[in-house]
Amino acid sequence: MGKYLLKKLLLGILTVFVILTVVFLLMRLLPTDCYFTDDQLQKLSEADKDVILQAAGLKDPVLVQLKNYYVNLFTGNFGISRRIMAGVPVMELIGSRVGISVKIGLISLAISIVLGVAIGTVQTLNKDKFGDYAGTAYTVFINAVPTVVSFSLILVIGTMVFNLPTTYSGRVHPVTSLIMPVLCTALPSISGYALWTRRYMVDELNKDYIRLARMKGLSNGQIVIRHVLRNAMVPMVQYLPTSILFTIGGSMLVDSFFSVPGMGSLFVQAISKYDLDVVQTLMLIYSSVSVFGIVLGDLLMALVDPRIKLNKDNVRTR
Amino acid sequence: MTVKNKNSTLSDRELFSIVPYNPKKADDISDTSYSYWKSVFYNFSKKKITLVMLGIFVVLMLASFILPEVGKYKVDELVANSDLAFINPNSEYWFGTDNIGRDYFCQVWAAARTSTLLAILVATGQTILGVLFGLVWGYVKKLDGIFTFIYNIFDNVPTIIYLTLISLIVGQGFAIMAVSLIFIGWFGTALQVRNMVIMLREREFNTESRCLGTPVRTILIRNLLPQLISVLILSLMLSIPETIAMESTLSFLGLGLGIDTPSLGILLQNARRYFIDYPYLLIYPSVIVSMITLTFYMVGNAFADASDPKNHR
Repeated sequence: MGKYLLKKLLLGILTVFVILTVVFLLMRLLPTDCYFTDDQLQKLSEADKDVILQAAGLKDPVLVQLKNYYVNLFTGNFGISRRIMAGVPVMELIGSRVGISVKIGLISLAISIVLGVAIGTVQTLNKDKFGDYAGTAYTVFINAVPTVVSFSLILVIGTMVFNLPTTYSGRVHPVTSLIMPVLCTALPSISGYALWTRRYMVDELNKDYIRLARMKGLSNGQIVIRHVLRNAMVPMVQYLPTSILFTIGGSMLVDSFFSVPGMGSLFVQAISKYDLDVVQTLMLIYSSVSVFGIVLGDLLMALVDPRIKLNKDNVRTR
Repeated sequence: MTVKNKNSTLSDRELFSIVPYNPKKADDISDTSYSYWKSVFYNFSKKKITLVMLGIFVVLMLASFILPEVGKYKVDELVANSDLAFINPNSEYWFGTDNIGRDYFCQVWAAARTSTLLAILVATGQTILGVLFGLVWGYVKKLDGIFTFIYNIFDNVPTIIYLTLISLIVGQGFAIMAVSLIFIGWFGTALQVRNMVIMLREREFNTESRCLGTPVRTILIRNLLPQLISVLILSLMLSIPETIAMESTLSFLGLGLGIDTPSLGILLQNARRYFIDYPYLLIYPSVIVSMITLTFYMVGNAFADASDPKNHR
């Protein structure tokens, strides 16, 4: 098992490096004017720009820049923001954004696991009855209707019926303005958890040991909670670390929809303002988060269910 | 049954005579006629609700392709006129006007057309690439490692991040968007095909086929592809609502189609600012595009069910 995890981890780290290198090389294809703010572009002459670029090492050959980038990375230097907050170290910038994203992410993750598993259980208990169809209708709605539209729906209901603030504001309405972003983050994942809970529980219910439990006279509720739910949770545990770690990344759409100053909006800003080091560091975070999430998920699944032995190289599908 | 009747009419000599090889008869194993596509359509048309959905869907599609052309106003000829801003829906402007006084009716239908056109293009492209690479990925064992590694590179980072990076590096526009969505999205289909092929590869009929010397190409096309049809139809149909969602998200973020292209994301981004006073700006595009994706999703699911040979007979 250790060998399997080590192999997976090493392959994952290699993947992270390939992603970083490709992104780095692609970003150097951009015209160098992208490195300056509009204000700077107006004031600076070509010669001034050259001096600044020279000083920042952006005029060196690409491979030299790549080497410098990796040297800096391994010594813990993630570079500085050029345009979002000119001169501020990237880590400081990210540090100021990550808190709110993790907060929204963790609250909505907790809500979606509790609600999702509950909905899935209710669906299983009422299989092929009204409760099941209502849950399925919700899943269909979430999957079929574009996210922007369902967010708009929440926005309209939230502001018109419940009188919630339309945008996030940490100072004025620290709690009420958090409701809609949390709801929007949770809504799709509730349906995901419900779907998987239902599917695994229905699979589990058809197994022989359940038939035995029923013959011994256990009630349906006891069977579902004591046996089925526990076994059905095992495959879902695998995705838990990834979900927790991904809260660091925030959500681009939720952030921009409700003007949340989180990691998602930072990425959109970094992209639209060509802030090289910020984009690079965010890519590092996104890719390593998912690599570690997968390894941790495999480990957790093997811990929860002693029957599972990790030795097959399965591609995860999700 | 037929054998018994024949037995009575055939003499011993005839019974043991050598029959010449007839390739048509050798292939013929079923006793009743069975047509795959006939069964698919029979199963599909059994449920009335899906037929209603299909009807709504067809009407919406026709409307989104015809209405922008025949309406009073044309999208390309719209001019900004702040005197006409925020007119509520009436007989002249059926869906009202937007914040700079342009007719909203033709914009909404043109947006629906842009989104569906993009989605159909992308879904088709993804499926074609996905099948081609998935078959090779699953069948040729040596390539599995490298393909899986490439897949992980794309799978490890959320799709939307790659798409935003592409829009940064290459630019924005309909063609760029279509190509990049295909380029990112075909891995999902390829993985599905690969998993199915790995399951089917070592089945008896394939081993026999290989022993008889059937070339790899024929095995892939004749033996494996027909088994994949229902999975492929499902992924083709489901990727259409997904693509519409992805396009609208990106355009909403300002990273998708240009501001001048009428698309769902652009309209909603604009409506986001004025919806409290003018809710119709939000409602019309939302309802129409959701109905398209919803009917597509449900028809797709029903059609995939109907096309699974396991559900036939």
